[in-house]
Amino acid sequence: MSQSPVYLDHAATTPVRPEVLEAMLPWFSTRFGNPSSTHKLGREARVALDEARERVATALGAHADEICFTSGGTESDNFAVLGAWRAAHAHGRSTVLSTPIEHKAVLEACHQVVREGGRERFVPVDANGIADTEAFAALCDDTVAVASVMWVNNEIGVVQDLPALASRAKASGAVVHTDAVQAFGKLPIDLRTLPVDLLTISGHKLGSPKGIGALFIRRGVTLAPLLHGGSQDRGRRPGTENVPYAVGFAVACELAVADREREVAHLGALRDRLEARLLEAFPDAVIHGRGAMRAPHVCNVSIPGTDAETLLMALDLRGIQASGGSACQSGSVGHSHVLSALGVAPDVAAGAMRLSLGALSTEAGVDRAADVIVTLARKARGVVAV
Amino acid sequence: MRERVLVAMSGGVDSSVTAALLQEQGYDVVGVTMKLHDDGSDVPDKPCCSLDATSDARRVCEQLGVPHYVLNLVDAFTRDVFDDFVSEYAAGRTPIPCVRCNTFTKFRDLVHKADAIDARWIATGHYGRLADTPHGRALLRGRDPAKDQSYFLWGMPRSVLDRLLLPVGDWTKDETRAAARRFGLRTANKPESMDICFVPHGDHARILEDALPADAPALQRGRIVTESGRVIGEHDGFARFTIGQRKGLPGGSGEPLYVTEIRPETREVIVGPRESLARDSVHAHAVNWLAPTPEAGRAVRAQVRHRSTPVPATIVHTNDGTLAVALGERVHGIAPGQSIVLYDGELVLGGGVITRAGRGSLPVLAA
Repeated sequence: MSQSPVYLDHAATTPVRPEVLEAMLPWFSTRFGNPSSTHKLGREARVALDEARERVATALGAHADEICFTSGGTESDNFAVLGAWRAAHAHGRSTVLSTPIEHKAVLEACHQVVREGGRERFVPVDANGIADTEAFAALCDDTVAVASVMWVNNEIGVVQDLPALASRAKASGAVVHTDAVQAFGKLPIDLRTLPVDLLTISGHKLGSPKGIGALFIRRGVTLAPLLHGGSQDRGRRPGTENVPYAVGFAVACELAVADREREVAHLGALRDRLEARLLEAFPDAVIHGRGAMRAPHVCNVSIPGTDAETLLMALDLRGIQASGGSACQSGSVGHSHVLSALGVAPDVAAGAMRLSLGALSTEAGVDRAADVIVTLARKARGVVAV
Repeated sequence: MRERVLVAMSGGVDSSVTAALLQEQGYDVVGVTMKLHDDGSDVPDKPCCSLDATSDARRVCEQLGVPHYVLNLVDAFTRDVFDDFVSEYAAGRTPIPCVRCNTFTKFRDLVHKADAIDARWIATGHYGRLADTPHGRALLRGRDPAKDQSYFLWGMPRSVLDRLLLPVGDWTKDETRAAARRFGLRTANKPESMDICFVPHGDHARILEDALPADAPALQRGRIVTESGRVIGEHDGFARFTIGQRKGLPGGSGEPLYVTEIRPETREVIVGPRESLARDSVHAHAVNWLAPTPEAGRAVRAQVRHRSTPVPATIVHTNDGTLAVALGERVHGIAPGQSIVLYDGELVLGGGVITRAGRGSLPVLAA
């Protein structure tokens, strides 16, 4: 009880890194100017914003003018799907093509396309959550306005063959978007060679604050703006820019790129250690997506005979902080659309916990978490589930 | 080692005070709010069970420095409570979803959660009391007759009594509110809900219209018929009626008319004068005892409606989860689907779901 908590929810959010906080602080106080103002304070803020944009672009292999700062992953995903569809719809393309395991920000944007008179198509995924490339190719026709494929899944960590899928969609003339929120900092990203037009990243998964993210918009790609107002970011995203967060976000992006290889090796080893412990104790445990390539920081495990909601509550009371699927509206666990798309049986899905690693993860923490999970899951298997 | 208690918190004042009191008494409090139904956009903010209510419970827990969780029991509640509510009305009966929620959701599902977190106790803000008797822990009426909720609690497994704490049951509502103010709880002056949590404005017919197919017999037009067989009007669905109801019936016949019977098979609503509602006996099923099963012939008090005065009664038989009771005085307007709860003084013996109420005396076997 007296031990410090073990945080296993890095896929939900991460603490702000000290370097990021330090870089942001002056822009809240003494250097508080509006980048659109022409006086000294405004000019300073404008320069800081432009520099932040350049640094984020460099971290991705993009041009500065291809980076649009947003409020985060959800806005970027909505802007990408709806902005691209609305722009292309005017030219006769009416379909949005995606996968059933996208983040809700993409799925709901696809549903909005339907409400606006378009069509949505979802390519099937296999039992590991990998999109079927042939089926995807078959769905790529000249009606597709925008194709959106999540690179690293936020619930189970599986990695799609994005270059292949994106190339195929590009060949059919679609605008191609990827939600790379969980990929950034884990996979190498170079937009000079990656054939996507739009790419979403989010700050708070990388050690910058919640409320900042970016959408990469390749030169030549036109999006209908979501917001209408001033001429900030050339009218793409009106509203006074969040200078301190943009500055912090840029620092976080640079650190994520610089640390990436070491981080991947470290987190991958910890995850393998954790999974080995769980599988040793529960040979019937199901680690979702384990048969596919996965990013190193996510372990989504179902221990048959346990109920995640109850187990997560019991874990928290023992200082182990993890989540069920992803979006925990009002803090409760719902049914995961991702596991459902994988064909996971509802009773197995009800036991799914997402243990996600990151900056706060240590070998000792993972070992303690494994001990507690094993103890509580053994106990739960003796109790009748609701 | 402090004993852990899982407190079911609706976000209202009673359960907030329950949590605060138990914490003050030295328990290791864990708060949970049960999400029982999806808060659709068409459901206006309710004092109970809505997202706002969840936020209040969470903030009370934060103030107390204790953990709080939301438990998603939507599937279980839909299966055990909501579906039954709909099918009972469709069969011409008048269900009490709160009884089934207490029976299944609160005091069965919640106990499983308590087991998982090693909680020795569970607690709610119900107005009932617990007492140790020679036969084990027993449930008593709440101290305040105006607030007593024991009528809704008869269905819980008896074993739960050994783990249950109802600290506000010794108080009046005013005393509870005073305690809430003393603790500085944000819920101290929250208005009280009398509605069923998933039925906005008490309009149960709207829920049925959404849940039943459009051609469900319970919502089709039917005849309003007197006991002598004379058709005096039409209704637009027998599920809109309950035994003893006056509202929605044709007037002008001099004597006030009441619904005395609902006949689902012919969709007829039968009406008659008040004396036609009088009954002498009650049959029930789904019977549950919170005390040693009473023997036939035992004199008890029977209550057949929330807030009605209990009447003297004699147990005729208790077989296979059914119950027959002879009423010591005639009771008007007993509706199948409601609960009959039997008391020995303040003590809750048990109860059941009313299947029918009869006229004429039942033979009572000597004990």
